[in-house]
Amino acid sequence: MRHFVRTAFREDCTNLHGDRMNTLGDKALLPAGLQDILPPVAAHEAGVVERLIGAFEGWGYERVKPPLLEFEDALLSGTGQAVAQQTFRLMDPVSHRMLGLRADMTPQVVRIAGTRLRNAPRPLRLCYGGQVLQVKGSQLRPERQFGQVGAELIGASQERADAEVVLLAARALEAVGVQGLSVDLNLPPLVGALAKDLGFDDLQSSQLREALDRKDAASVAQLAGDRSEPFLALLRAAGPADEALKKLESLRLPSAADIELSRLKRVVGLIRAEAADVALTLDPVEHRGFEYQTGISFVVFARNVRGELGRGGRYDAEIEDGSTESCTGFTLFMDTVLRSLPKPAAVRRLFTPIGADSTRVASLQSEGWNIIGALDEAEDPHAEAERLLCSHVLNGDAIELVRAILDTEEE
Amino acid sequence: MTANEKLVLALPKGRILKELAPLLSGAGIEPEAAFNDDSARQLRFATNHPNLEIVRVRSFDVATFVAFGAAHFGVAGNDVLMEFDYPELYAPVDLNIGYCRLSVAAPKELLAEEDPARWSHIRVATKYPEITRRHFAARGVQAECIKLNGAMELAPNLGLCKRIVDLVSSGATLKANGLVEVEEIATITSRLIVNRAALKTRPGEMNGWIERFSDVADAA
Repeated sequence: MRHFVRTAFREDCTNLHGDRMNTLGDKALLPAGLQDILPPVAAHEAGVVERLIGAFEGWGYERVKPPLLEFEDALLSGTGQAVAQQTFRLMDPVSHRMLGLRADMTPQVVRIAGTRLRNAPRPLRLCYGGQVLQVKGSQLRPERQFGQVGAELIGASQERADAEVVLLAARALEAVGVQGLSVDLNLPPLVGALAKDLGFDDLQSSQLREALDRKDAASVAQLAGDRSEPFLALLRAAGPADEALKKLESLRLPSAADIELSRLKRVVGLIRAEAADVALTLDPVEHRGFEYQTGISFVVFARNVRGELGRGGRYDAEIEDGSTESCTGFTLFMDTVLRSLPKPAAVRRLFTPIGADSTRVASLQSEGWNIIGALDEAEDPHAEAERLLCSHVLNGDAIELVRAILDTEEE
Repeated sequence: MTANEKLVLALPKGRILKELAPLLSGAGIEPEAAFNDDSARQLRFATNHPNLEIVRVRSFDVATFVAFGAAHFGVAGNDVLMEFDYPELYAPVDLNIGYCRLSVAAPKELLAEEDPARWSHIRVATKYPEITRRHFAARGVQAECIKLNGAMELAPNLGLCKRIVDLVSSGATLKANGLVEVEEIATITSRLIVNRAALKTRPGEMNGWIERFSDVADAA
């Protein structure tokens, strides 16, 4: 009987290719874009998140924790519209309303500021860290779940606020060890304002923006014809901030664009005054992903790291009574941030045999040792320590390097 | 991570490479001798610039290498750029080489009997499923794409489907297979493409190369 059941099971598990389906595989396979994070990476990520948040708190940003799910209409209003396509939805069996699973935490923080914290004094500094889920990964970022850590400066329209968030992002990333950091400053509303001023309609303006996002000078020239020069000049100006500002100064732009640019120039000055060493580039035409930004925005890159470490900028947030307040802030993407960091230092694991002095163990633990306590009497504590991936063994009062490691070191 | 770490330029194998040669020398890039030897098995080539290396890959792969940052810049046709639409790519210079068209083609006799206004669904053989889907979706037609990697012209004759979307330069291959060009989706030329993060984190070097290539392309 037993034998029969087994055979049946086996037939069941044979697929079209004639391979036996692997039951371990069935259990281990995760949906595309989702993954288990294992030691030591999981601990490293958690540690980096805490240090980033710690850096934000050090500059007065207080942590908030919004829920994973919200009513769809609230979650996807305002700046939340940008991620509507990327949001998982489900029906709430309790309220019978549609819920959205957050694909971005920023709109949640903005909602908190505009509702429950509407009476808190402005400027309001809030920070957050948590996981988000997106419907589709891209080929370059296949992850559908990743961590976001960010800070928002609510109700602050000052130039100093623009500079503060750029500095905060750069300082926090440098504090956790990111090397070769580079901040690209952008002015998303500029191209639209310029296009309007030159008499282009909405369709032409969006085609122009698309071409500019690709830095496709040929298409820009074709689309804008004899009015293309100001766009091409902006395109050519992109580069290291100081050179770019010089090039922009010599341009003759409509007054709306000019006001934005002189503000940007002063913000660059404010950033430079605080942190002369941060690599700053300036790209006045970058617009992709800044659909809801209303002023100075930025993207953080690191040398030799694929993709963006984070992005942020100025936007308008709705308050309950229908009016708006000007805010700025940024979000860091933990998957890219972790890719930009050197490998974490190995943790020190100490094997303690049964009967080890508990006061001694407690004091070692407070010195930073991770204690792996024996559950059985170990005949050879060194062998047992090695098996459990410990680097050291507690022998009486002495901490000994595991024999196997000692041997390889002597060789 | 030093300041003088190598830049990698990805170039497409085949047809474009010959047209590209004068542009490369105009931009002051001289690859090592093996680069011009088609039988060489080597894939990476040194240049006269100690900090610049060339890799030779399939034209579709140039965009992928550059988008992922494995190469810092490269040369790719806008057919490839339209197909992948990588947000991490910039295409700052039209090199004005590799001219051809991306077109829809079908057997001559088909045109007489069909009314495209009545379509809701068509089947197309192509190397460019994304462009094809977008092109027909814009007029409310669902295009089911059969991905082929070559010899597209065979598909209608052997009954695989009625239409193809492919690159056309002289039109001779189409004609030889009894097909006619129905409409042009885009004019194709080769572009200098640049990885976004590379341009942002090494603006001096990358802008320098962009300027050189744009000067040569303008002069040609």
